[in-house]
Amino acid sequence: MTQTTSAPPVIWSPPPPPSVATAPAGTPRRSRPSGAIQAWFAGTPGRMRLVLILSAAMAVLFGLAAAQGFRESDGALKRAEANTAQLVRIQGIHTNLVSANADATNAFLVGGLEPPAQRQHFVDSMAQASKLITEAATAQPADQAALGQLNTTLLTYQGLVEQARANNRQGLPIGSQYLKDASASLQEDSLPLLDALVKANESRVGTEFDGIGNGSYWLIIGGLVTLLVLAYALWWLAKRTHRYLNLPIAAAAALVLLTMVVGGAALSSAGSKAKDTRGHAYADTLALSRARIAAYDAKSNESLTLIARGSGEAFQTAWTKSAAEVDKQLAIVAATSPAVQTPWTQYKAIHATIRDLDAKQGKWGDAVARSVGTNTGTDAGTIFGDFDEASAASLGATSTKVSTELSDARHGLPPIGWLGLPIGIVAALLVAWGMSQRLGEYR
Amino acid sequence: MKKQLIAAGAAAALFALTACGSSNYEATPVPTKPVPVETPPAPGTLPLKCDNALASYAPDGPLPAPGQFPAGSYMAQIKQRGRLIAGVSADSLHLGSRNPISGDIEGFDIDMVKAVAQALGVELELRVISSPQRLPVLIDGSVDIVARNMTINCDRWSQIAFSAEYYRSGQKSLVPLSSNAKSLNDLPPGTAICTPTGSTSYTNLRKNFRLLKAVTADTDGGCLVLFQQGKVFGISGDDTVLAGDAAQDPYARVIKGERFSDEPYGLGMSKKHPEFVQFVNGVLEQIKADGRWKASYNKWFAADLGPAPAPPKPVYGRVPE
Repeated sequence: MTQTTSAPPVIWSPPPPPSVATAPAGTPRRSRPSGAIQAWFAGTPGRMRLVLILSAAMAVLFGLAAAQGFRESDGALKRAEANTAQLVRIQGIHTNLVSANADATNAFLVGGLEPPAQRQHFVDSMAQASKLITEAATAQPADQAALGQLNTTLLTYQGLVEQARANNRQGLPIGSQYLKDASASLQEDSLPLLDALVKANESRVGTEFDGIGNGSYWLIIGGLVTLLVLAYALWWLAKRTHRYLNLPIAAAAALVLLTMVVGGAALSSAGSKAKDTRGHAYADTLALSRARIAAYDAKSNESLTLIARGSGEAFQTAWTKSAAEVDKQLAIVAATSPAVQTPWTQYKAIHATIRDLDAKQGKWGDAVARSVGTNTGTDAGTIFGDFDEASAASLGATSTKVSTELSDARHGLPPIGWLGLPIGIVAALLVAWGMSQRLGEYR
Repeated sequence: MKKQLIAAGAAAALFALTACGSSNYEATPVPTKPVPVETPPAPGTLPLKCDNALASYAPDGPLPAPGQFPAGSYMAQIKQRGRLIAGVSADSLHLGSRNPISGDIEGFDIDMVKAVAQALGVELELRVISSPQRLPVLIDGSVDIVARNMTINCDRWSQIAFSAEYYRSGQKSLVPLSSNAKSLNDLPPGTAICTPTGSTSYTNLRKNFRLLKAVTADTDGGCLVLFQQGKVFGISGDDTVLAGDAAQDPYARVIKGERFSDEPYGLGMSKKHPEFVQFVNGVLEQIKADGRWKASYNKWFAADLGPAPAPPKPVYGRVPE
């Protein structure tokens, strides 16, 4: 601004010579604008302008970096929360399906029509699973293809189950083959998809938890570079103008430092809160989900072992593997969810009795009665129901805790995400103000 | 002009900065199902030949009463255990199938092992096995006896022992009701026909109808499901099994005239206990003589296959190795 107003009078001050003469003089001026820029940055005021531009730009960049850092951490927290919710949803689908299949396989075991309550449980589980699939597909577009595929396999599964029921209703033994095929289609087609979904979401949650701390890099690096530049500006000014401190620029530096310290502290506190959540509530949620899935898998395998009537050793091996997984996961939540342990231990004891009745004593009918019976406290069905209820309650509590803790951590962040740029601009204005005081002395 | 450019550049930079670390995840990979490799069935070793596959071990005198089995005999062992473990089918209607209403496994095969258990004076424990499991469960000793529409042949005699023949079946074929085929030869080449895995039906189908595509399932029920789902055109198997299939599916019919093999059924036992085979042969003689065999036949097969013929005559003469 100062250039355009002050420079022309210098050029045009001589009295007007013939127009022919002015033309050669004027043309080189206009054809070499770099000359004007060089002139503008020439000498001490020129250097000042350079330092001013550099510092002001740096201050604005700092504002942007601070905003970016906060937005990144905030986003990572938000996404960690969303991905945890998605993971819980996917595991909910898994649990509902294995639970439905446990109902369906039990229909093999007992003659006659399945008990209405068991059928209702099957229908409810399938309905819940299909509701969760829709929710999950809306919540995470990246899961849509896999969930769509899952839906297709479930259509086949449910079709086979209904065909089995229709045949059973007519007293045709072929129904049991349809049920067997249904169970196989769930095991071979649906569950691998769910495993892939769980894996993908676990890794997304991990990535976001890791990313929560990354926001502070923007803030710290941006802040340190800006402080260096401002310090250089102060030092350079002090040297050139023999004044110790340029107050506005010092204020800008203080503003940057303050933002950096306050923001950094807030981010590191949010990061450590998130780390805490990951180590406790999230770990519990994962363990409980895994325990529930493995437990239902074990229960299904108990039925399949009995259905195989003596040639089901492979299923019993699978039971042992699933039960070991439940034990491992429950050990993680031993302190936080003690209510889950008792029914599981009881169930394991009853399972041992069932195996003893079937394999050692050859009392298949008694074994089946203990497996599907509804006597409180003595039959596997009811004890397992207790485990289901207790673990579902604990899972609900821990997954809510994860989401509360993460959203608390997020809401605890100062609003630097949108204040960052204004702070940067204020710092830049302070720098400009401070520098223009000195520049004024050269006018 | 310049200012606008700078503003636009700054905005672009801002968008670029905020874009990084956003929720653009890679799509969850959909696991690919391993495609089952279709192994063309080996043209096969030639079936073992022997003089008389039907010959079993002759019973050793009159049937001993329960509790009077020779010490150290397999019958004494079973008696001590208190139950006879039999490997059976649970989805071959009228032979061995689970009654959906009662949940019990019942049929002609089951009646045979029931008679054996009764003669032993022990309980009967039924273990459901698939077609290819029939020989392995006998060889590893996890069941005492297999009653699962098993054809007596020389191949199998090399691994297990058979009782005398208790039923003479034959292989027929089942096609959709709408089909006009009078023989499997009427079907176009490459038509898919299902037989149980590891069965003589499979071997016979491959031998007699080379141009058809042989598909296998683990059980008879598995074949019927494939048929109902339209994945195979027809089923080939023992007339007894096919009668049971047709009884469950009004849209299926058995080709009447074409019976392309004889399938003599025997109860399978381990080769290690010839005295038990002799005992079982004694039991079979008894039930054939006292009318229990006939009653059971009429109960399960009369409706589909007509009234009971004379029971197959036992052939003996084999000497324990």
